[in-house]
Amino acid sequence: MALEKELETYARKLPELKEHEGKFALVHGDVVDVFASYEDAIKEGYGRFGLEPFLVKQIQSVEQVQLVTRLLVPSPV
Amino acid sequence: MAHFTLPIGPAGPVLSAFVAVSQARHAALTAAGQPVPSPVPIRALVDTGASCTCVDASVLAALGLTPTGSTQMMTPSTGATPHEALQYDVALAIPAAPPNPQPFYKHTLPVVGSELSIQGIDALIGRDILKDCLLTYNGVVGFFTLAF
Repeated sequence: MALEKELETYARKLPELKEHEGKFALVHGDVVDVFASYEDAIKEGYGRFGLEPFLVKQIQSVEQVQLVTRLLVPSPV
Repeated sequence: MAHFTLPIGPAGPVLSAFVAVSQARHAALTAAGQPVPSPVPIRALVDTGASCTCVDASVLAALGLTPTGSTQMMTPSTGATPHEALQYDVALAIPAAPPNPQPFYKHTLPVVGSELSIQGIDALIGRDILKDCLLTYNGVVGFFTLAF
């Protein structure tokens, strides 16, 4: 599964990340850093980890669900 | 504001755009000595019913992208339980029209990978893009205008 390790790390560290609600977590393996914007997190991700897998996820206590009313099949994780 | 006006076709308000690797991925590919894929031309439906922008998996594959995010998502096909969907960082350019030809351009944008080509389109332009635009849908005369 793509980004499995990073998603596990994010879920495990979410309680301590909640103080950064709304900011963006950059996760690579067990390493987590926090950035003010999505663009900054992506830029740092590529700058630090190159083309290796990394995850950027907005820190949300209750994750916002994206809604698309058109019939489509999202790519599964 | 830059803008364009297009006819509303059978598929709805559809526009032409380009999807490319994000600015940061471009730099990473260059640093790694790897070729940078050319931007991919797409047909995109302006969809106020989409909270996020979605791009067909074939376009993402042509750009050689790997996921850098995930999000909870609900569509008519997912039923009442949200599904985890992969996100990819891309750049998006929507050309404008003379006399103000400056394109709409985002150098880094998260999009959800989806299966859309079967519907004759490559992407949905969602409200994450439209929040920075003025959209006029004139069904009476059959045209829509996007200004940005």
